[in-house]
Amino acid sequence: MYILKNAFRSINRSKGRNILIGIIITVIACSATIGLSIMNAASKVIESSKSKYDITATIGIDRDKMMKNVDSSSESKENMKERFNSMASISVSDIESYGDSKYVSSYYYTYSVGLNSDTIDAAETQSKGPGGNPHGQSSTSFTLTGYSSYEAMEEFITGAYTITEGEISSNFSDNSCIINSELATLNNLTVGDTIVLTNPNDTSKTYELIISGIYSDNDTDTMNMFTNSVNTIITNSNFVEQIVSDDATLNAKITPTFILTSEDVVDSFEQELYDKGLDETYSVNTNLDQLSSETESIQNLATFAFTTLIIILVIGGIILFIINLINVRERKYEIGVLRTIGMKKTSVISQFVSELLIVSVISLILGGFIGSMLSVPTANKLLEQEIQSSEQAQANINEHFGRSMNGADENSKQEKPSNMPTKGVSKIEKVTSIDAAIDIKVLSELIGIGILLTLVSSLAACISISRFSPLTILKERS
Amino acid sequence: MSILRLENVSYKYEDDKKYVLKDINYDFEKGRTYAIKGKSGSGKTTLLSLLSGLEKCSEGKILYNNQDLNKFDLDKYRNTNIGIIFQSFNLLTSLTAIENVILSMDINHQKEKNKREKAIELLKSVGLTEKQGDRRILKLSGGEQQRVAIARSLSYNPDIILADEPTGNLDFETENEIMAIFDTLAHKQNKCVIIVTHSANVAKKADVVYELKKTSQN
Ligand SMILES: Nc1ncnc2c1ncn2[C@@H]1O[C@H](COP(=O)(O)OP(=O)(O)OP(=O)(O)O)[C@@H](O)[C@H]1O
Ligand SMILES: [Mg+2]
Repeated sequence: MYILKNAFRSINRSKGRNILIGIIITVIACSATIGLSIMNAASKVIESSKSKYDITATIGIDRDKMMKNVDSSSESKENMKERFNSMASISVSDIESYGDSKYVSSYYYTYSVGLNSDTIDAAETQSKGPGGNPHGQSSTSFTLTGYSSYEAMEEFITGAYTITEGEISSNFSDNSCIINSELATLNNLTVGDTIVLTNPNDTSKTYELIISGIYSDNDTDTMNMFTNSVNTIITNSNFVEQIVSDDATLNAKITPTFILTSEDVVDSFEQELYDKGLDETYSVNTNLDQLSSETESIQNLATFAFTTLIIILVIGGIILFIINLINVRERKYEIGVLRTIGMKKTSVISQFVSELLIVSVISLILGGFIGSMLSVPTANKLLEQEIQSSEQAQANINEHFGRSMNGADENSKQEKPSNMPTKGVSKIEKVTSIDAAIDIKVLSELIGIGILLTLVSSLAACISISRFSPLTILKERS
Repeated sequence: MSILRLENVSYKYEDDKKYVLKDINYDFEKGRTYAIKGKSGSGKTTLLSLLSGLEKCSEGKILYNNQDLNKFDLDKYRNTNIGIIFQSFNLLTSLTAIENVILSMDINHQKEKNKREKAIELLKSVGLTEKQGDRRILKLSGGEQQRVAIARSLSYNPDIILADEPTGNLDFETENEIMAIFDTLAHKQNKCVIIVTHSANVAKKADVVYELKKTSQN
């Protein structure tokens, strides 16, 4: 106990030096707290941002690979076209087989087919039918696109399309459809009307659809022929599947999207698809790049905070180390006296380390407090932006679908269909509760770092104390 | 019976060929004062550091109560069995006289409640007042400081007092006063007092005088 008493007395005696050490440690603790809480906040933001977006994989034709194949196997143009056609078709059963994987949490797809109509007129556009019909089949006026679930309705989620009247049916196996507002105006159609589409190969085959809603394409200024949606009629994938299964010669296109369980399984999933018989000319594309670009700036901030933290710790450690060395040199005589009158080396060392620890702990608490005062507003601002963007995303989705999609709203639970998209909805809830207040993790990290730094920097002092010969010290004095 | 005995003690500093001390055979008993005389550089301080366990002999051995000193915990030995007094006093100048004495008691792990009372008593026994005891060391004269050093060395009631030129910095009168204290310690309190000195006056007052000769080359 007398060692602690000595330590306290000694601190009190050399106030100047200890205040200096205290200031240095306070500054280190303060910067460390700021760095740590920014890193913490950043990782929360990244986490929340990652959980908000699903990792999705799509299958597309790898044009480079295909071209290479064509070059090497000097095929005729006809053969090539045939090949292309055969490859372009992935069947629903293929998708079901691909989706039946431990790496896939869910999947959806859109199914498009080109059809005509005798009862309604198509709007004038530069293109006719899906992709201007490159396969040499008869051209069609309308594209009937079937979605397998709300999640598949990418355009509504991103806000490219917005429901202006009626709604999207929650029943994914009925014969309801939604049509473009321009098409509705042109043909004087409203919600509840029926439209009839015909098979381009066999006009006796007709398909009846009831309009449940009207959507507007917000991308109006792009007269891009591939994205123009005026003649796109939206329904569910089951409806399209029935049409196609009835007539396999129809020009249909299926686009699957697989939601993966985590970003770590991307490679395994890709391999599994090829093992299950996916042609080598297809490539599996993910949205990983897009996701990481979303979090890039915040990731940079975290890295910057981390680097700064390390630099401060190293510089602070060196300064403390030097102060300790000077301290021991200055107090050689005291060490000599203490050793001569029988104080053990270990006791002398513990007294010196205690002195530094007492000053450190006080400074750590002070620095941690100041640091959190400074960093909480900064970190909270970071989080606030994330929370706002999440809430905005939520609000937008509701608006685009023309109804509340909020899964967390207990009252609307009954109305909510089971296949309502959860994308960016339920997960956003977590984000709103994040607060950057100094938490136990940051605090314990800080104290750990501080004590480690203190001990490491006093190591040299301990070594020199244990090497001192008291006799030599005392002789130097006299 | 001797409390401290040197048997054929030789000593040379590390990396040094020359012996500072060669085949020393001294015997110290309780209740007596000893003076160790010798020219400057003859190894007096070196001998004292061997007796106090700050250094170990190169050859031969030192017996404390007939037991080899090397077998002792020397830190504890210095803070229990011997009291050390140096020419330069070696007090902690940032503390008061009383605090210096209490520190020594603390290192000795004394459980006593009223250490301050005991420290004042010790200081009084060497002729200092309580008021002087509450002063910082640097506010005391050389003679007073040396009294504090003696009081400190008595704080754990050791059998042996080792003093290296305790009066080297003091005037003749003060020297006599300090020597009177040592005399009392040996003859009234039955301690073994060993004093290293230049002074003929001090040597004259000692019961036994040993003379250290400079060792010849090698
Ligand atoms: N640490 C050391 N390393 C090497 N030689 C030393 C060391 N300390 C002392 N010596 C040498 O040992 C010899 C004896 O030194 P010591 O200090 O014991 O002399 P002394 O008798 O106390 O002299 P003085 O009366 O001047 O105090 C001297 O020649 C000195 O140079
Ligand atoms: Mg000497």
